[in-house]
Order: sequence, then C-alpha cells, then structure tokens
Amino acid sequence: MNFLTWGTDPWGQEVLIRISWDLLYVASVLGILFVGAHAVWLAFFVQEEAEAVDEAALAGVPEKVARHSLASRVFHWVMAAAMLALLLTGFLPVIGIQFPWVTIHWVAGVVLTLSVIYHTIHATFWLGLSAMLVGPKDISDAVSRFKRSIGQDAPAPRKHGKYPLENRLYHHAITLTGGLVIVTGILMMFRIDTPLWARDPYIFTDPTWGMIYVVHGLSAVSLVTLVIAHIYFGIRPEKRWITWSMVWGWIDRRHYVEHHDPEQWAARSEGSSGQR
Amino acid sequence: MAVIRDMMPAFELFQPATVEDAAALLREHGEQAWVMAGGLDSFDWFKDRVKRPSVVVDLGGVDALKGIESTADGLEIGAMTPLTDVVRHPDIRERYGLLQQAAELVASPQIRNQGTIGGNNSQDTRCWYYRDGWTCYRADGNICYADTPTSMNREHAIFGADRCVAVNPSDTAPALVALDAQMVVQTAGGERLMDAADYFIGPSIDITRMTILEPGDLLTAIRIPSTWAGATFYFEKVRDRQVWDFPLVNVATALRVSGSTIEDARVAVNGVAPYPMRLTAVEDALRGGSRDEATAERAGDLAVRGARALRHNGYKIPLMRNLVKRSIRAEA
Amino acid sequence: MADIEITEAADPGVSRRNFIKGVIAAGAAVGSANYMFRGAGSMFAQATTPGAVERLITITVNGQQRRVDIMRQETLATTLRYKLGLTGTKIGCDRSECGACTVLIDEVPHYACSILTHSVRGRSVRTIEGLAAEDGTLHPVQQAVVSEQGFQCAFCMSGYVMAAVGYLQDNPNPTRADLAHGLSGNLCRCADYNKILNTMEQAAENMRQA
Repeated sequence: MNFLTWGTDPWGQEVLIRISWDLLYVASVLGILFVGAHAVWLAFFVQEEAEAVDEAALAGVPEKVARHSLASRVFHWVMAAAMLALLLTGFLPVIGIQFPWVTIHWVAGVVLTLSVIYHTIHATFWLGLSAMLVGPKDISDAVSRFKRSIGQDAPAPRKHGKYPLENRLYHHAITLTGGLVIVTGILMMFRIDTPLWARDPYIFTDPTWGMIYVVHGLSAVSLVTLVIAHIYFGIRPEKRWITWSMVWGWIDRRHYVEHHDPEQWAARSEGSSGQR
Repeated sequence: MAVIRDMMPAFELFQPATVEDAAALLREHGEQAWVMAGGLDSFDWFKDRVKRPSVVVDLGGVDALKGIESTADGLEIGAMTPLTDVVRHPDIRERYGLLQQAAELVASPQIRNQGTIGGNNSQDTRCWYYRDGWTCYRADGNICYADTPTSMNREHAIFGADRCVAVNPSDTAPALVALDAQMVVQTAGGERLMDAADYFIGPSIDITRMTILEPGDLLTAIRIPSTWAGATFYFEKVRDRQVWDFPLVNVATALRVSGSTIEDARVAVNGVAPYPMRLTAVEDALRGGSRDEATAERAGDLAVRGARALRHNGYKIPLMRNLVKRSIRAEA
Repeated sequence: MADIEITEAADPGVSRRNFIKGVIAAGAAVGSANYMFRGAGSMFAQATTPGAVERLITITVNGQQRRVDIMRQETLATTLRYKLGLTGTKIGCDRSECGACTVLIDEVPHYACSILTHSVRGRSVRTIEGLAAEDGTLHPVQQAVVSEQGFQCAFCMSGYVMAAVGYLQDNPNPTRADLAHGLSGNLCRCADYNKILNTMEQAAENMRQA
C-alpha cells in the first residue's frame, strides 16, 4: 500500500502527483467498519434507558416544533446532491467505471461552492453560529452519556440543544474537509478547460500542484468515510425523525421534549415567523 | 534519457502459438503483461525505458491471427497480418482500395513488412511530452504538458481534447472507419464484435488508453463488410516528410456515386483528434447532393465546424477543410 | 593492488583464477547438459508455461544453423553483431528509423534492430555476409555497387543492399520512382540518393541478366 503517488517532471525529478488511490479503499473500509461496529454496539451493548416523557411538559410545546427553515433544507439537499455527484464522478473512474466525468465533476463542484457560500452567509447573519459551538459542558455531558449507556454510574447529562454534540462535530469535520476540497478544487479548475477562465497549469510550480492534489484527494477520501457514516445515521430507524425534519422542517412535540433542552433551544411553532 | 540504447531492460518473454495460450498468459499476468504485435511501437517504449513491463507476450507466433480470408460478407483480416500483405492482397486492391492506399502510406517498407494491421490500429499516441516519459495525464499524472501557454503542440488535436490533447497517429484506422469495418476483440467474457469507430476511445472515456482494449483483451481480427466494396475511394495523408512520418492530417473518404449524385458517403479523418473521427455531419450533408465544387466546399466547411486550435496547430483547420474538400471533389 | 597479491599468495587452497575457472566449467556443464539432453524425452522436461522461451536457441543465418545463447530482450542486430560476429549489419539509430540494420528474414527486408532474436527462430536470416557465392562471386546488387561506386562513406550500404535485394526479388522491373519508393526505408547521411538509385537501377539490370 502506498500513501502518495509520485511521477517524473520534465526535468527528470520526482514530483508529487496525488494521494495513492489505495487510500480510497482504506477510507471506504473505515466507513463500513465504523457503521458495522456502531450497529453491533447499539444492538448488543447499549442498555436503552426508557426515558419517561413528562406528559405535563408536552403541554407548553407546540405540536410541530420548527427545526430547519426551507432555505436550510434546500441548501442541505443541494449540497448533498452536489457532494454525491462529486464523489461518484471523482471515484467511479478510479475504481474502473469509465465515462466522461470531468465536466459533471467541475459543474457539481461549482454548485457545491455556490451552495456553501450561500450557507456561510445565511448561517453567519441569520441562523447565528452559536448553535454549532462546542463548550466544556458538552464534553462532560458526552462522557456522562457514554458511561450511562454502558451501565455505569454518572450524573444525568443535560438534554441536547438544537444539535446534539455528534451533529456539531460532524458539521465541523465537513466544514474542514469540504472547505479544503472546495478551495483546492477551484484551483484545480485552472488545469482544465472551463468557460470561467483560461487554462494555465503554470500558476503554481509542480510541487505546489502536487500538494494541492494531495489535499484535494485526502479531503475527498475523508468525505467518503464521513458520507458513509452520515447516510448510515440518516437511515437508522431511531434517528429517522431527524432525517424527516430535514425534509419537512419540523419535529414533533414528543421528540422535542424527550431529546432537547428548552434552555438551549427554545421551541417555536412550525410556520411561525421566527423559524430558522 | 538513458545513454545505452541498444539493449532493452530485461523482461520475461512469452511467444504463444495459439490465441488460447496468449489469452491465458494475459489473464495470468494481468496488468503486468504487454501485448506485442510487430513490436515497432513497443521497442521504442522499452529502449527509452519509459514503459517497463515485466512480461511481454509476443503474438508473432500465433499463426491463427495472420492472413486474409474472404467471408460470406466481405473480408476478415487477422490482426497480426503485416501491412505489406494487406497492401498486396488482390481483393483489397480491387475492392477495398481505400485500405490499400492507407496501408501503403504507413511508415517505411521495412516497417510495413513487420508492422501489423492490428498494431497499426492499436498503437499509442506520438505526443512527445508523453513519449518522453513525463507524468502527464496519459501517464496517470494530472497535467497536460502539450496544452499550456508555452507548449509546442503543432501536431496535437483540434477536436475531442479533454485535458489530454494527443492525437491518434494511425493511417489505416480512418480507412477502416470509413469502410464500416468491425473489430473482433477477445475478452475474458468471450468474443466481442464492435464497429471500428467504437474501438477507439478518447480521453474523456479513459485518458490513459487509445483503444477500448483493457488488460487481458486481444484484438484478433478486423472484418470488412462488402458494403463499400468497389466504391469511389480517396485517401490522402499529409506529413512533414514522405517516409516514416505519422500524419499531420489524413482523410479517408468512400463515396457511392450514381451519375453525378452522391448516394451515400463515409468520411473519416485522423491526426486531428485522439481517435479517428468519422464526420457524420459531412456525410449527411453529402447524401443526395451532386458531386461538384459547391458540395465539396460545403463539406470542407462543415468538417471543421467546432474545431478548436491550440497555440501552434491552427494550420490543421484549413488543412483538414481542404483535405475533406479535395476528397469529395477528386475525380475517381 | 598489493592487498590482492598478498591474499592470493596467502591462500594456498583455492586461487582466484582456479575458482573462476571452476565457475565457468560448472556453468558450461549445466549449459551443455541443457543442450545435450534437449528433447531427450520427458526425463528433463519441465512443466513449462505455453509460450515460454529458452535461452539457447538455434537460428538459421546465411544458410548455417547457429546455436546462440540469448537474452529475452535481445534484438537480432545485437545477436548478429556481438554474438555471431556478423558486423556487416550496422546499427545506426536503433529505432527503425534509418535502415542501416536491414537484413532479410525469409527473404523479406526487416530492421534487425527492431525484431527480437527470439522471433526469428525457425526462420531464415540473410545478412550482407551471406550474399556473395561460396567462390567469392559477388551478388548482382553488390556488383552494381562496385561498378557504379554508389556510396560515399557506405555506412548505410549494407542496409541499402539488403533492402534492394529484398525489393528486387519481388519487383524485378522497377522504374526509378518504384525503386525510390521500395528503398524509402533507408537513409543515407551523405545524401547520395541519386547515385544510390543509379546503382540500384544497375543492380536490377544485373539481377535480370543473372
């Protein structure tokens, strides 16, 4: 197995080309192993605590609690479609399924970039960034939650804010890998023919290009693992209500009370003007 | 480049006598195996140390792949038939003169004595950036050295480029495309038959290959249907010197003319794209037209529609236009 | 240097020279066993892959059976010049681009630099050395070279002569243009092409009369 692929430049020197595609298989296997391990863990080791929902608490909560605005949902699915298109067009030729992929790849890349720019502005000025912050209390809550799940004694953790810790960490991982893949991808568009600008591979030296390709490749194979895990959680039965909230925009009152902490995330009715 | 050039780096050599043995060897050695026909393209790669296969499967001893046979509908040419035999075959001379003319113009007499019709159609591109062993797209890298603001790309593509701008250098390929030939390919899953036009692939499909052949596949024969037997043919090859050289542009045209009306046409051009290009738009425009200057003019203009020149190969556009024009206008 | 002398003198058992001799003898024994028992039934036969090639092969050069020990990747030009001592075949470009190495294989001109020696097993190779008759009478093409003085430096000559012999056997009545086409696979760095064509026209005439 190799980590990097090297080639020869016009001066006969070794030059970095990209990551080795062996890493694609490593990333896929890691993703599948994680999914398998998590499924086994949930099925055999976790002791479900049947949490009693305080019926009284339901009373003050709207029947449908708004979670994702239409704009957020549209962004999510556009990004998901672009991401899948990018991963498929990028990696199918690597595993031997040949087709004219370059145009689809860069167009999907442009769609992804535009959607992410939109999301960044939307999140910064309308949604607010606080829902995504991770503080010390989140860590201690996570430790307690883990201990309790394996039957050890631990103080009861707070319920979740709008996004559970796992969601927030996942978002940060996507922000990092997606950001890198977007920046390097835009630079790589200088090496192909697009209507956007003239092709010129000499804006960087060969070793710099090598680094750009390596970063693009590493981020992309990381995204393979992350996307496998994300799709897995999206289709798990006990998390289905979260997935549906990304389709319809709301969660029901019972799930809200059971999982979320009104202190951190105040419930608003679906359809109300303050919906985010 | 290596200083000692009279000896190639070592490889394991197999000279099977049957197609089955050859196929078994290719299956056994997979991507390590290099399929060698006449060897004229192969030896350059080996001597320059650019391609260093560990196993070479020489098809020279497979007699079943040699020879030209008449079939119920036309001819079947074994892939390992030397080009000289193609040129001299009486039936090809009389009825498929397009292929004879094309094969006669390949390289030099000695090369035609050894080079095969299969090899001529499956040879790699001549882009010197690639041939010099630089890790370009075609060599599994991520750059095209021939398409940058400073590249020397006089011989490169004006059509069909996708990152890589190399061209297909074969003379017989456009003739086969124009004759509606079919390629017989032996794959692990059995025998596959395909149109000549589908045998050649561009970089948008796979940037590292010129043909549809994957490791383990063998081109065994080329079938020429009688569809175009005895039609009006025109082949012209323009090159820098009159022997050895690969085409800058070549054109292969087959016309079925009745009186002065063109009933049907095939026009294929090579040297302008990563694959021999069949000009279907030109063919459609020719069908039913009269064979005169105006039609030829229009065909030439149509032929180069959509061409995109690189820095140094703009001349290929008028060259191709005029060759197509001439191929329609020429008196038989 | 002094070190080596002392070592040799100080070691009465095996001198370096004897050791080397021993290795050569052992190699020859193994090699000739292979040679002598070849085809001696199944006793020595190995289960080899179909198409596998052997090191020791027999090729027919100028009518003689020549036994040679060759590498897989060895070209005919290398074998002829460096194993069989037939240096009349020249290596010019080693890239099938000059014709200096032209020889006849089954009477058809080929570039000897661009064919594996393994590919001429069972075929007949003719080089410039094999053109003249036993008694020294020159081949008609060679005679034409002498009488027309067609070459200047003549490095390319043996290749030209072999190409012409092959071509004239197929086409005994060529025009000057035919000859130019038929011999177009050879280059002359002295650019003596007109005189070479004169020579080959004379050669065609000689061959017709022969």
